[in-house]
Amino acid sequence: MTGSTKPSLSLGRRRFLQGVGLAGAAGLAGMPFGRAFAAEPEKPTEIIVRAWGGSWADSLKAGVSDPFTKLTGITVRHDLTEDNEIQPKVWAAVAQKRVPPIHINWDTTTNATKSALRGVTEDLSDLSNLAGVTELAKPVGLDGYPIVNTYGYVYVLAYRPAAFPNGAPKSWKDLLDPKFKGRIALYNDGIGFHFPAQVAGGGKLEDIPGNMQPAWDFIAKIKEQEPLLGEDPDFTAWFQKGEIDAACTISTNAREAKANGVDIAWTVPEEGAKYDTDGLWIPKGLPENELYWAKQYINFAITKDAQQVWLDGLGLPGVVPGVNPPADLVGDPSYPTTEADFKKLIRISSKVQVEHESEWFGKFKEIMQG
Amino acid sequence: MRPSRTAYPLSWRLMDALEATAVAVWPRSFAAAVPWLMLLPAVLLVGLLVLGLWDMADGSLRTLDTATFLPSDDYSLRNYDRAFTEKLFFTVASRSLIGSLIVTVITLILAFPYSYVMVRTRSAALRKVLLIALFLPFFIGQVVRAYGWLIILGSQGMVNEALGLVGVAPVRLLYNYPAVLFGLVQYMLPFAVLMLAPALTAIPEEMESAAGSLGANWVKTFLHVVLPMAKPGFIGAGLVVLTLSLTDFAMPAILGGGSQDFIANAIYDQFFRTSDQGMGATLALLLVAVGSMMVGVVFALFGAGTLAMGRAK
Amino acid sequence: MKGDRSKAVTLWTFVTVALVMLSAPTLVVLGASFTAGNMITFPPEGLSLKWYAAIAGATDLRDAFLRSLIVATICTAISIPTGTLAGIALAKYRVRFAAGVQVYLLLPFTVPLIGSGIGLMLIFGKWGLLGQLWPVGVACAVINLPFMIWAVTASAASLDPDLELAAANCGAPPLSTFLAVTIPAVTPGIITGALLMFILALNEFLVSLLLVDARIVTLPVQIYNSIRSIITPDLAAISVVFIAVAAIAIALLDRLVGLDIFLKSK
Repeated sequence: MTGSTKPSLSLGRRRFLQGVGLAGAAGLAGMPFGRAFAAEPEKPTEIIVRAWGGSWADSLKAGVSDPFTKLTGITVRHDLTEDNEIQPKVWAAVAQKRVPPIHINWDTTTNATKSALRGVTEDLSDLSNLAGVTELAKPVGLDGYPIVNTYGYVYVLAYRPAAFPNGAPKSWKDLLDPKFKGRIALYNDGIGFHFPAQVAGGGKLEDIPGNMQPAWDFIAKIKEQEPLLGEDPDFTAWFQKGEIDAACTISTNAREAKANGVDIAWTVPEEGAKYDTDGLWIPKGLPENELYWAKQYINFAITKDAQQVWLDGLGLPGVVPGVNPPADLVGDPSYPTTEADFKKLIRISSKVQVEHESEWFGKFKEIMQG
Repeated sequence: MRPSRTAYPLSWRLMDALEATAVAVWPRSFAAAVPWLMLLPAVLLVGLLVLGLWDMADGSLRTLDTATFLPSDDYSLRNYDRAFTEKLFFTVASRSLIGSLIVTVITLILAFPYSYVMVRTRSAALRKVLLIALFLPFFIGQVVRAYGWLIILGSQGMVNEALGLVGVAPVRLLYNYPAVLFGLVQYMLPFAVLMLAPALTAIPEEMESAAGSLGANWVKTFLHVVLPMAKPGFIGAGLVVLTLSLTDFAMPAILGGGSQDFIANAIYDQFFRTSDQGMGATLALLLVAVGSMMVGVVFALFGAGTLAMGRAK
Repeated sequence: MKGDRSKAVTLWTFVTVALVMLSAPTLVVLGASFTAGNMITFPPEGLSLKWYAAIAGATDLRDAFLRSLIVATICTAISIPTGTLAGIALAKYRVRFAAGVQVYLLLPFTVPLIGSGIGLMLIFGKWGLLGQLWPVGVACAVINLPFMIWAVTASAASLDPDLELAAANCGAPPLSTFLAVTIPAVTPGIITGALLMFILALNEFLVSLLLVDARIVTLPVQIYNSIRSIITPDLAAISVVFIAVAAIAIALLDRLVGLDIFLKSK
């Protein structure tokens, strides 16, 4: 093969120069396509956002995901795995130094705080639109912005007026009426119910978490009513199919059933109802370019326009000033805006919830499993 | 015939080369070990499972630190202690054990006539229809079938509508223990029939005719001739249904309404809700132990029945 | 004769009950998929093919289905050589500690699915294999291996050893005998086993639930997650596609081997 070296070298050089020329041309040609500024990183084919199903994912799609896709061309996919179930998968991925299964987690603030304390969240302090949000957006007790709170909500007592001829139930204790046996529903981990149960059971909020026995006693009484236990879409489905008359659930789910033609109303009983926030966070371990675009998504989610459409669908108060409540929710207890509204609501610090939530879930489950 | 170069076909040359390689790699003197060589891939594959069990055993000895949500570094038996003392686990365990026993009995009662008709019928078409009716759900999967039942048994489903026609108020047919058991029975039926059928095929039909000609009516024939001879089938079917229903996840989850957790759901919860891997691994290992013990006891007492793999005796 | 009639009535009552239990969900799902309305009900409100059109356009369902097919293919590809060799070894040879080997190879049966799934999840995690699709195929092969071995041994048990002796007598070296005599004889078992493994892996739910995440979700898990959300008729439509695949597999099995093989005694 010695004879052929020289010709192959010269051929090689020519080919090499051709190649460089082509590459240069391709590079120059590729630059302007689909980019607003030369500094933007490469766009991923899709962004995966974990979301709750039903009207939750639909509202996010209408308010944030679809406009984001229109703006940037990146498809947004909603993963409907439950928040509690994605958590160990994300933690495992970060611990095993893999790319996490999702780009953005739309999570409860309590869960997000757990992840933040564990160190698996990316810092979001550099988002430009944080300048225009209210205090509510900042997580309490954490440095910087490992998560961005996006709205608040109330775990109301939703009910079918037809089953309550004497008007709205005044107290959570009204659910103990024997005629509601098998006709009430709760979240399957009891979330949103523990704190009102404490008061309904005769206890005091100040005793949380020290002495929650009144809550457990009340929940044991509720157990005798054989409640159905489920997650967000279940409440809507159960109301629509006439399986339940009352539930302790987020107003969004009841509102969706109402939009589908079922007569539903909701109220904050005298013992109060739990108020909490949800937020968005990004797990560690994403490639640089995907991290950049995930941040852009969250940045977009806290603009006034995105919040308006998103929260119109959810019927919940947001974190950007100037977002108006939907017409049917002005003055509604599930859309607290004034001091007076908040007086009726129960707010427990994230710190306490993070430390004790697992224990409360376990105790609730133990009672409910019989 | 004039021998040509192609008289010795290429495929033969290939085979010769392969044989030579085989002898080089595995000399004739090792011929006795050939079966072990053949078993090796399967052994390695199942070895993954053993490694997994080992990892679970290791994990089960570590408790959860609720401040960091990380498993502890030191070993302790605390998880096992909790598994045997905490009320929740006792409730779930007894519910699963009792449920699986009930499901096994009902399934066997339903599976036996089905297998009998399928095996004994003279019409090949009927046999095919019964087999297809058996295989189709078997191949469709639990999840789809479970929500088919959600549609049928719901408060506005067909059954309640039919009851409504007769003036009965809608009955809560779902989200309770009987619903879960029902779901398990309908899921296990194909398994049971498939385990019973070979045993029934092995019973010659003449046995039944003989019993009949000796004066036994069909009930007596069944009780004294068919059932005892079908014992290997019942053992195989019973074991499979027992272990599968004890460890099922989807039916209690979908049909149970959140209050009918079986052991598999409790294990899932530990991993995916409370993030307590140690507790989850403990429960899983205890389940493996209980399952293996049941299988071992039945095998020892009655033999493997139709579940056996291996040489025809 | 009176006795025969009461026997027939009793037996057929049970069989009818069993048939209803087995077929009802299939029929309901089939019917509900053709509904013109927006909710899953049976009988359907009007007939329309719109939900099939919807799933044809639903890329996430299509991708999930494709992934399920890939997993099933990997599972079958792994289990055919593994299970066949093991099955033949167990059926033909007098292996020492045969009982022990049998118990060992029955482990995927005796270990409950949740246990296997979690064990595999832990070690795959440790080896950094989670987040990819092929480990799911391997996992399906592991947990369903006894089915493959069982199918092959059933076939191999009826293999006449004289055939192989005859082949040796004609001068065939051992490898040729294996390939030309043994393998063809157990082919019905291999085909049965392979089809079983394929369909079982296609439908595998629990182990997939533990091993997949949003980037590699397979169809049964996707359906489960969607069921826990709002149940819309497109889920019924995709289930019908599943049912169709199952029906094709059964027809194939019947064509190639004959479904009656499952009735044979051992």
